[in-house]
Amino acid sequence: MKVVVDRSRCSSIGMCEAIAPDLFEIGPDGALHILQDDVPESRRADVEQACSDCPTQALSIQ
Amino acid sequence: MTAALTRAERPYDPADISSLEFWSSTAKDREKVFAELRADRPISWHRPVKNGLFEDPNDQGFWAVVRHADLVEVTRRPGDFLSGEGILFESMPKELLDAGQGFIAMDPPRHTKIRRLLASAFTPKQLARIDEHIVANARRIVDDIADKGEVDFVAEVAALVPMHNICDMVGIPEEHRRTIAYESQFPDGWRDPRLLQGAEPLARVAQAILTVHGIAMELVEARRRKPEDDLITALVQAEVDGERLTDEEICSIFFLLIIAGNDTTRQSTSHGLKALTDFPDQRAWLMEDLDGRMPSAVEEIVRWATPIMTFRRTAAHDTELGGHLITEGDKVIMFYSSANMDTEVFDHPELLDLSRSPNKHVAFGGGGIHHCLGAQLARRQLNATFRELLTRLPDIHVVGEPELGNGNFFHTVMSMTAQFTPEKR
Repeated sequence: MKVVVDRSRCSSIGMCEAIAPDLFEIGPDGALHILQDDVPESRRADVEQACSDCPTQALSIQ
Repeated sequence: MTAALTRAERPYDPADISSLEFWSSTAKDREKVFAELRADRPISWHRPVKNGLFEDPNDQGFWAVVRHADLVEVTRRPGDFLSGEGILFESMPKELLDAGQGFIAMDPPRHTKIRRLLASAFTPKQLARIDEHIVANARRIVDDIADKGEVDFVAEVAALVPMHNICDMVGIPEEHRRTIAYESQFPDGWRDPRLLQGAEPLARVAQAILTVHGIAMELVEARRRKPEDDLITALVQAEVDGERLTDEEICSIFFLLIIAGNDTTRQSTSHGLKALTDFPDQRAWLMEDLDGRMPSAVEEIVRWATPIMTFRRTAAHDTELGGHLITEGDKVIMFYSSANMDTEVFDHPELLDLSRSPNKHVAFGGGGIHHCLGAQLARRQLNATFRELLTRLPDIHVVGEPELGNGNFFHTVMSMTAQFTPEKR
């Protein structure tokens, strides 16, 4: 699955990185990076939690 | 929905959560009142808190949000409930707000841009990189008490762990650390005569801000000449909307970082040791597998301590919350200590359960844009400190009752005696 970040919404709060540091990373520039282009289906629960916990609803699964 | 009453017309709830007496009691006593409110009147209007700092004739009261679900909702509606009017119960002179509350008392879009400057320093990965420093700081603090047998745990352990770690990150050298940690107590501790020692509250808070800003400016000028790998340098070099931050903005952010960095983990560490003393079975369970069980223990200690008891928002416009009409300009106070005892979310919240899972406490916030920037730092510090203490001073325990603060913001332990068998060298 592909995870996308809406840059106009993301505020780099880092909740997603706290849930799945291997998938999400706030870089030194303060911007969120999605670390895997194709996230394995086995990680769906973490990704869904990251999407629902995002304070600015900036994450979604495509 | 209830009829729209103006602030002046609204009747006050009979429960007292505004007086200094209420805030001078214990968390256990306050919980009796919060339990009643959660059950019967989860959103309630109260008389203004006794201030003592700054009389605001327009302050007619506040809404109390005491349930977990409602607190999370307020947290996640930052467009309806603003932080820019201040995040403390009390009204504050604007200058004080600007000087002392940094980006915590800001709203988007400015908040987003400022917070982003600091975000990468507090990520789980970045903190994993500096974990050895955090562990070394815990070790050196325990080294210094290990042969004493009895200490004021707050002054000699709980205050020092976060002081060294946040100062390492921000870039504050050794000679300024104790001053910084001491002064950082006043923005919440002004109500406490033991801390004030006769000073006039507003003047003493202003003095604390001036002292800290003086140190901040000295460091800012030093980093402009010679950049280092620290947060002051990051702030000095940062650009927001193509402009450098002003000295005033840097000082305000600096002040926020040291208060948020010092006065939170200090309380969690103190309440944590008291909890481990009061619940020996839980402690024994933890000791059976210290490495494996510490992460869940840390979460429960943070819930138990709830180092920040309240945050305020201000209604941006007329809006609805839990069936009540909240009018523009109303103060809305979230009570974290109450939400963390909500039986809708926690089984037997009155018991320390170090294995609690899931543990959806709100001690770091309810998951909004102001969610604790330092949550991962706090977790690592508590982990390192309790690991060091329980391994090297396995019988360390609290003697007598802690001396508590009387503020409505930090859940302060002023002092607390701990005893232990001195470590053999």
